Amino acid sequence: MGRTWTLIRRRVLQAIPVILIVSIGIFGLLELAGGDAVDAYLAVTGGGDPAFAERLRQQWGLDAGLWVRFLAYVESLVTLDFGWSVVMSKPVSVAILERLPNTALMMGAAIAFSACLGTLLGGIAALRRGTAADAGITVGALVLNAMPSFWIGLIAIVVFAVKLAWFPLGGIASFDRPELAIGRVFDVAWHLVLPVTVLGLAYMALYVRLMRSAMIETAASDWVRAARARGLPRSRIVRRHMARPALLPVVTMLGLQAGNLLGGSVVVETVFAIPGLGSMAYDAVSQRDLPLIAGILLVGTLMVILVNLLVDITYARLDPRVTDDRVRADGGA
Amino acid sequence: MAIEFSLSRRHLLLSGTAITAATLLGRQRLAGAQPARDGGTLIAAADTEPRNLNPAIVASNGVFYVASKVIEPLAEMDYETGLRPLLAIDWQGSDDGLTFTVQVRPNVTWHDGTPFTSADVAFSAMEIWKPLQNLGRVVFRNLESVDTPDDGTAVFNFSEPTPPQLIENAMPALTSVIPKHLYEGTDIAENPHNQDLVGTGPFRFGEHRPGEFYRLHRNEDYWAETLPYLDEIVFRVFPDRGAIAAGLETGDIQVSAFSAVPLVELERMAAIDGVSVIPGGYEGITYQITLEINHRRPELADPRVRQAIRQALDPSFIVDTVFLGYATAATGPVPQTATDFYTDDVQMYETDTDAAEALLDEAGYPRGDDGNRFSLRLRPAPWFAQTRATGDYVRQALRGIGIDVEIVSADPAGHINAVYTEHDFDLAVGSPVYRNDPAISTTILFQGGLPAGVPFANQYGYDNPEMNEIISSASETIDTAERVGLYNDFQRLASEDLPIINLVEFTFITVARDDVQNIANNPRWATSSWADTWISD
Amino acid sequence: MMRHWSFGGVFGAVVLAVLVLVAVAAPWLAPGDPLDIVGRPLLPPFTDPRFPLGTDQLGRNVFAGLVHGTRVSLLVGLAAAAAAIGVGILVGTIAGFLGGWTDEGLMRVTEAFQTIPTFLLALAMVSALGASTINVVLAIAISSWPATARLVRAEILSLKSRDYVDAARLAGMSRLGIAFREVLPGAVQPVLALIGITVGVAILVESSLAFLGLSDPNQVSWGGMVANGRAVLRTAPYLVAIPGAAVAVAVLSVSLVGDAMGRRLLVSREG
Repeated sequence: MGRTWTLIRRRVLQAIPVILIVSIGIFGLLELAGGDAVDAYLAVTGGGDPAFAERLRQQWGLDAGLWVRFLAYVESLVTLDFGWSVVMSKPVSVAILERLPNTALMMGAAIAFSACLGTLLGGIAALRRGTAADAGITVGALVLNAMPSFWIGLIAIVVFAVKLAWFPLGGIASFDRPELAIGRVFDVAWHLVLPVTVLGLAYMALYVRLMRSAMIETAASDWVRAARARGLPRSRIVRRHMARPALLPVVTMLGLQAGNLLGGSVVVETVFAIPGLGSMAYDAVSQRDLPLIAGILLVGTLMVILVNLLVDITYARLDPRVTDDRVRADGGA
Repeated sequence: MAIEFSLSRRHLLLSGTAITAATLLGRQRLAGAQPARDGGTLIAAADTEPRNLNPAIVASNGVFYVASKVIEPLAEMDYETGLRPLLAIDWQGSDDGLTFTVQVRPNVTWHDGTPFTSADVAFSAMEIWKPLQNLGRVVFRNLESVDTPDDGTAVFNFSEPTPPQLIENAMPALTSVIPKHLYEGTDIAENPHNQDLVGTGPFRFGEHRPGEFYRLHRNEDYWAETLPYLDEIVFRVFPDRGAIAAGLETGDIQVSAFSAVPLVELERMAAIDGVSVIPGGYEGITYQITLEINHRRPELADPRVRQAIRQALDPSFIVDTVFLGYATAATGPVPQTATDFYTDDVQMYETDTDAAEALLDEAGYPRGDDGNRFSLRLRPAPWFAQTRATGDYVRQALRGIGIDVEIVSADPAGHINAVYTEHDFDLAVGSPVYRNDPAISTTILFQGGLPAGVPFANQYGYDNPEMNEIISSASETIDTAERVGLYNDFQRLASEDLPIINLVEFTFITVARDDVQNIANNPRWATSSWADTWISD
Repeated sequence: MMRHWSFGGVFGAVVLAVLVLVAVAAPWLAPGDPLDIVGRPLLPPFTDPRFPLGTDQLGRNVFAGLVHGTRVSLLVGLAAAAAAIGVGILVGTIAGFLGGWTDEGLMRVTEAFQTIPTFLLALAMVSALGASTINVVLAIAISSWPATARLVRAEILSLKSRDYVDAARLAGMSRLGIAFREVLPGAVQPVLALIGITVGVAILVESSLAFLGLSDPNQVSWGGMVANGRAVLRTAPYLVAIPGAAVAVAVLSVSLVGDAMGRRLLVSREG
């Protein structure tokens, strides 16, 4: 227990400078952009005059000097009150909380799907090394990895939603959602099948390759050789002595991929019309909604940090050798 | 049950309301045979979720699409009578144009049970339409006060003569009435009822799930006793247009308006059993595609260069290629659907690249060694696929006469800022809306002397005293015939001067399942109340 | 296993060579501006010899778009990868060699960039600064340099304690001089293995940005072609299928080549 807390404390302390850098970067970026939230608002409403625009800028605090706005921005971040979203017309925190579950659900499912299927296939490829199955899995993973997810998504929609009508065209739930809780769960799951599969497939290749090479490595290790010499059953050798240590790099990769997966969800959410953080980020950027963009990026960053924390804890569980000086400290890409 | 396109579509747009109505009557023949039926949920596709849903503040089609079912204006457009009374039952302008008296409908209650009176109209006019509304600031510029001698009467007092015709024409879009008792003394722009609407309309606002849907419920106490027919309207949010088409096909969506189904899909949709493509019902909200010109560029300040550009462009090509025929070549700033103001007695241009090149040579811009005369930066407005595609076409066409065009793209905020505040453009493709009267949002594109930062207005550096004179006298002319005459002059001068180039005009297309009845039965159908819409068995 | 991968490497190299050839020869393969409207809209592929892959909804030649899109994809992919790797090497070397607070500071920044969802960052950047090729390259580079930086830093840390570095230090070279002239060449080698992945990711990110409407409007981009085709997916699926497949082929070829390069390096270093 103590070790876990140390881990958490260290992660959180490390996160502070990260969040600071990210927030300053966001502010600077939006300063460089042409046009502000008032321009975006006028574009949507279709008119106005300079006096009206001036009043809006005053109301939204856009007419103050650079430093005043920056300080206000920092204050809103420090107090975790992300401010008011012009796009959503509600507090940023509320807007994010409304959408966070959808994205978290999709991301979590996609991570689980890609890691489970990836390690399974990678393991099979390693055990059947050199066979057609191995080649098929390896090449298949590479090809899937090369395909843009928006493309797979669009094709999946045509085939599975339009032609076969097995799944809905998009969205997170039916508007006439079922009365029973269990029905609602199934409804959401049914809506998530295609997007989760598409998002997961794009990231699966990595786990296939990692698992495959790690398994091949552990197969050659002294442990496994000794176990074989002792005459242990093959299934037990594979599970205990090959797969378990081979999972370590996979777990590490989960943490490293969390950010990419969240980025990928922008495209997938757009294709499948899922009201999540990703699609909201796209709206927020195009409407110059600084508080909302900042909020989304920060929450996204926090999600990544959280996933990494979970990864650290899992890692420590999986690998008894790991103490505070973790092997993965500089785990590379 | 598809409509015969080849026959009707361009014809329709050309000849306006009469034919549209006739064609639609044809379509509705099945419906006419059986009486309207109560009940059912109508599922409509929406592709935007406006941040401010209050139509009194934001008079835009995206807002009206949802909000017009909940909040009503004083009157609505009508194919037969021109205007159909809603919250107003009678109105009369004075001869001097200084007062306009409205009798409001008695025995109407707001959705929260409070009685509706002329005080609500007065409050909406003075606190919202005039100071806050995107369009009302022009029409109600000279509105000084609104008197309410009794609960049934509202008297609008103007400081300068204001044509009654203009106010009538403004009624459908600009006079949404909101409840005084919920807005008085609050910060109107941030009032929570701008999302959680309370109105007098046939439907009550139910819920909005961002990114998913809006749900409206039947108003049992609607003033028109037998209406509405529907129990519910659900607007499902579908940012992807391909998905809307697919949804209509599978029956997940019953209506999609504003050409949400891509034009290229229409032929296929029309062939599907149970789905109809309906081109009418938008005559009151005609859009144009225009080429906006920055007169601060010395080359573009020369009328010969602007004429050359006009002659290099072929509007019918844009109609056929970009709009697949669902549009009409424009002749000037007033569209042909506006039968009361439109005139074809204007300077017409043929597409003639040789003449264009000769004009450019004459203006002193010969082709250089690389074949180019000069270079321009073109900003296509990001609102429609068609504005971007027109930008691509203009680039290609102008290259043909030796003008090199670079396209600069930006998102909405960047575009508005660059064109209408910073004037950082040479050419831009815009899509102005003609809203039933030239004074509402059209003449402002030609009027000189506006300060920088007025979007969708003349930020082109064009300032012609003759034009300014026509615009200002028309805005104060009471006599309808005289006023129309002035707007005919306006169109003539615009076509000769070419401060901006009006290329094509278009209205939208509705695609619906056949069981939805009474579609497109007024010129602003998609933005009207849908009280009489019903679903057959 | 070696044979298998080298087959992949050769296959990837051949495909990549063809793509490069197409990119170079684009003006001859499909003369004129690929954005020009040249034919009837929505001609299906293989029906008109002038438009072997058909036309899009505006009557633009899909073949021309595909060919010229190769240029944009490869160019953006390579430029962004080069910039990312360049920045990564710079940051990694400085951090690894100077150590101390510099190292600490730079690594915090690197970590920040690895923690934020970088595609969101790229999206915000291109959207705010405007969609031009240079901005797209910058956005992709900014979001993909940390991997290189960490790798280079780790290599430098392991190399800098070696004898020849001490010799250079005794010879009176400045610290950064030693870093860039003596240590860096040895540290850069493993970076070569990252090139394939970095270019592949850059091409994918470019196409995703273009799919969301963020690409230079004066140039054809495969992702942009898919975005255009999306609206007519049911009527003309080839408008989505063809450019999307092109992205996949390009990414596959660079990752196969990068993989083969990485493996050879590994073999040469270990053997």
